[in-house]
Amino acid sequence: MRRSVFVASLLVTAVMGLGGIAGEQKSFAARAQEKTASTAEVKIDNFVFGPTAITVPVGTTVTWVNRDDIPHTVVSTDKVFKSKVLDTDEKFSFTFTKAGEYPYFCSIHPKMTGKVVVQ
Amino acid sequence: MNPFDIKAAFLAKHAQHVVLIHFPIALFIIGVVFDFLAQKTKKRGFAEAAYYNLLGAAIFAVPVVITGILAWQFQLEGQKLKGILLMHLVLGCASAVLIWIAWGLHARARRQLPETLPVLRLGLETLAVAIIGFTGHLGGFLSGVNGPN
Repeated sequence: MRRSVFVASLLVTAVMGLGGIAGEQKSFAARAQEKTASTAEVKIDNFVFGPTAITVPVGTTVTWVNRDDIPHTVVSTDKVFKSKVLDTDEKFSFTFTKAGEYPYFCSIHPKMTGKVVVQ
Repeated sequence: MNPFDIKAAFLAKHAQHVVLIHFPIALFIIGVVFDFLAQKTKKRGFAEAAYYNLLGAAIFAVPVVITGILAWQFQLEGQKLKGILLMHLVLGCASAVLIWIAWGLHARARRQLPETLPVLRLGLETLAVAIIGFTGHLGGFLSGVNGPN
């Protein structure tokens, strides 16, 4: 009797342990997925990209939203990405799959500049 | 860009439009003012001044239209326009046509008799000034002159 109780408690402990490991693995996988599928937003307002410089991990999708009254564009200096003309409240997204620095500007207002740093 | 760097200014592709546009606007408006004065006073000097100002406006309208279209092609790669940009393009073209018509009426009258100049032209010129003013307002809005330095 005592032996069977011992075996049963051992089994319960083992099952709980395995469950814990599985849970740990699951949360690690979820975190990795979150990391690869993270997002960031840059607001365009009053002729300024805000924030002007943004640092994000590889795999991040950056979305630019035009909150200004007038149209703007988002054009990579190195021709990596380019948006169409964004009217008020229109958005443009780009996913950065390689590390590096990505300076960009508004082709209608070249004084408007920004930078995405991908690490 | 350094505004005194001539090479950089010419290579900017689109920058000339916002510079050149001031000439036809100023010449046309002052030409219309002289035309109204000529109509009121019947003085030939005012009529001559009106003609040459309108001539200048008609000439300057050509590079302004060309650089405006180039700006569309270079900056926006000719993509389909909408909103303020489309309105600016349409009204800008209408303004240029009205400037050429106004000058054409004066040029035709000079070849014939000054009396053949229709009084209705003043209405057309007033309409043109209004459209040019609105187009210029949109252009200023687009260029960001009201934005932060």
